[in-house]
Amino acid sequence: MTLRKHLLAPVFALAAAVSLSAIAAAADTPVQGGTLVYLEQQAHTNLYPPAGGFYPNGGILNQITDKLTYQNPQTLEIEPWLAQSWEVNADATQYTFKLRPGVTFSDGSPLDAAAVAKNFDIFGLGDKTLKYPVSEVVNNYDRSEVIDPLTVKFYFKKPSPGFLQGTAVIGSGLVSLKTLALPFDQLGDATKIIGSGPFVVASETLGKELTLKARPDYNWGPAKFEHQGRAYLDGIKYIVTGEDSVRIGALLAGQADFIRQVQAYDEPQVEGQGFKIYAPSTRGVNNSIVFRPDNQLVADVRVRKALSLATNRKEIVSTLFSKNYPVATSVIASTAIGYKDHSADLGFDLDKARQLLDEAGYVAGPDGTRAKDGKKLVLTAYESLPQPQNRATLQLIAQQWAKVGVKLNVLAGDAGSRTVDDLDPQKTSVSPAMVGRADPDVIKSQFYPKNRDALRQKGGGSDKIQSFVDDKLNGILEEIASQPDKQKRLQAVADAQAYLLEQAYAIPIFEEPQAFAGAPYVKGIAFEAVGRPSFYNVWLAK
Amino acid sequence: MTRYILSRIGQALLVLWAAFTLSFLLLQAMPGDAVLIKFLNPDYGLSPEQIQAIREAYAVDGTLLTQYLKTLANFLKGDFGYSIQAGVPVSAQLAVNLPPTLMLAALGFAAAVGLAVLIAALSSLAPFAWLRNLVQSIPSLFVSVPVFWLGIMLIQIFSFRLKLVSVINPGPWESLVLPVATLSVPIAAPLAQILIRSIDEIRTRPFIAVAVAKGATQRRILWRHVAGNAILPALTIAGVLFGELIAGAVVTETVFGLNGIGVLTEKAVGNQDLSVLQAVVVISAAAFVTINLLVDLLYPILDPRLRTPSGATA
Repeated sequence: MTLRKHLLAPVFALAAAVSLSAIAAAADTPVQGGTLVYLEQQAHTNLYPPAGGFYPNGGILNQITDKLTYQNPQTLEIEPWLAQSWEVNADATQYTFKLRPGVTFSDGSPLDAAAVAKNFDIFGLGDKTLKYPVSEVVNNYDRSEVIDPLTVKFYFKKPSPGFLQGTAVIGSGLVSLKTLALPFDQLGDATKIIGSGPFVVASETLGKELTLKARPDYNWGPAKFEHQGRAYLDGIKYIVTGEDSVRIGALLAGQADFIRQVQAYDEPQVEGQGFKIYAPSTRGVNNSIVFRPDNQLVADVRVRKALSLATNRKEIVSTLFSKNYPVATSVIASTAIGYKDHSADLGFDLDKARQLLDEAGYVAGPDGTRAKDGKKLVLTAYESLPQPQNRATLQLIAQQWAKVGVKLNVLAGDAGSRTVDDLDPQKTSVSPAMVGRADPDVIKSQFYPKNRDALRQKGGGSDKIQSFVDDKLNGILEEIASQPDKQKRLQAVADAQAYLLEQAYAIPIFEEPQAFAGAPYVKGIAFEAVGRPSFYNVWLAK
Repeated sequence: MTRYILSRIGQALLVLWAAFTLSFLLLQAMPGDAVLIKFLNPDYGLSPEQIQAIREAYAVDGTLLTQYLKTLANFLKGDFGYSIQAGVPVSAQLAVNLPPTLMLAALGFAAAVGLAVLIAALSSLAPFAWLRNLVQSIPSLFVSVPVFWLGIMLIQIFSFRLKLVSVINPGPWESLVLPVATLSVPIAAPLAQILIRSIDEIRTRPFIAVAVAKGATQRRILWRHVAGNAILPALTIAGVLFGELIAGAVVTETVFGLNGIGVLTEKAVGNQDLSVLQAVVVISAAAFVTINLLVDLLYPILDPRLRTPSGATA
């Protein structure tokens, strides 16, 4: 009897251990079922995939469309997804993709070479009659060629080394030919967006609610994912809830599972109750102030440098933000491709700033504001609504600049005045700016005159520019967009950072994250490389 | 009477046309346009040439007069145009947003009337002078409470703390409780104030003294003698309060995350979505005109003195 007891004891212990570990494993094993309630701050607009840069659009498109390639958000390497393999020629003008067989859109049509070719023809060239604009990430596109049902080849007029990464971004989500046959005007209706993603749009109440349901036959997750079959969730319910306090209150009260846009000052409240803050980096051009040197007041590099030296980034971050907003150390984020540490060039030194302004000929007037030849150093910026606490940030910068005798007016303005005035450097001499994209092209996107033209150069987006143009900068940016050699391309990215800071065209402030919050039982949240949530692997442990 | 109604309808159409034309001109005078605002948004990352191409595709360019005539003709056909920002026809947006706002406004208004009558009745029937004074100060309090604050407070207390109603994903009636309460407060305030004042005024009239002398109770005096006379000024103000109702709906809908004309308008203003604004202005004007017409038609029914034919001038 006693012997048996002794003998059995370890068996029981073992059994207990096994069942315990089984429970532990169960807690980590995804459960299928449930609907995720996701609170969005704004309603989606047009769901044409290249318009996915707008976060409310991206948050939907990322669930309903798949891409040719998958960019690993940790390594930023490009991995196979709907394309099993690809070949790029030496000067990056020809890309051949071999597609994964058996993939279908949710309308049943095959995702084959013809469909992929049509998607990129429209993304690369636009369509005037259907009013489709060109995608930002597809540059120098020439044409496509269907080689066989599962092989498609793209030709470019000039080297386009950014294209491979461009096939992984939110704006390159593939949609059915049925969707692309519709005019652009009709794509505000989410039910018309037919992708091949793990979720499909079930219903929509315009401007208010959108319901996605899992696609039962989905079986083509990114190649390196262990999970390949259908999503764990049965569905996702997007509810537009504009008011910050209601989104956070609803999450904490258990009425919602996951929310987008959490301001830094709300983070302690969320974390204090055991909820989780997710703040994925946007990996692009940092939240910055850019100058419009066409305006004489900021044409002198010494003035721009002085203002850079007068900007106290640490104070901005510690006053308004949190640990999720790292102080900027270069033009682009430290998690961006090709980043170089420039913290030495981004100091805070009021004495040096004053000295530079003296040298530039600006002397303090009776009201403390510096002036030269009767022209006061008064600058103007419009707040940028999508950027977190941008008004407060600009106001704090205005206080900091006031210490060296420079006045910064911060305007709110209506969308129309803001848009029009922003094109005129005489009206907006400085402007807040940022872009997210995990490819070196991002720096070109931001500063190149034919793209976002952040500095407002002659020949760019504005007809109000008198003379400012920087050929050296544009040369470096063109090199980034067209240099097929990886090392040389990264060198160009380094050169661009160094040159932008040497000229003090931009004052980087912090690395901007996208801030989300989720309930503790929401597991498996992932983000694509630029911070848009993916709910494919999400399950609810409750 | 028929002539009166016909002339009033004619006036109403004139007002609608004026509202349409004025709003068209004012909206055109604003800097920028919806295409520019939507597509210059850095999220799209479009080049200037591409934006120009889109502008041409949407035919935003063209003379003011041709655009005006085209828009007017479309409106007469019932085609309200296309919302550039949302990427859907305006009629689709109205179909989704108009019914909830009408529901909210109707219930909010009914609740406000109930609340106002209750306050007015209490203010003259409550037993103690100090209590009557307290009740009489409620309207001033109500008018001073910011709607957005009230909405957030109601949500925090009744939904997040007491968990009585759900704000996210509520049932059809559940979704209306707190918004209606929020909306009714600022509407009830002026109504109650006018009611209280006219009750007080009518109480000083000689026929009330006669009723008191005959031995009628306070309650009987209020309901039989005062109420009917006190309601006319309140009715006038009720017509005007419709504007307040729309303004209140903007805030209420935003705070509660409801869809409706209020939120639609707010977004359209921000994005200069002219077709949407134009439609909202015309619809609001139509509602305003209709309500005031109804109020005017109700006067003679409520007050026999207004039934003389000479009273039928507008």
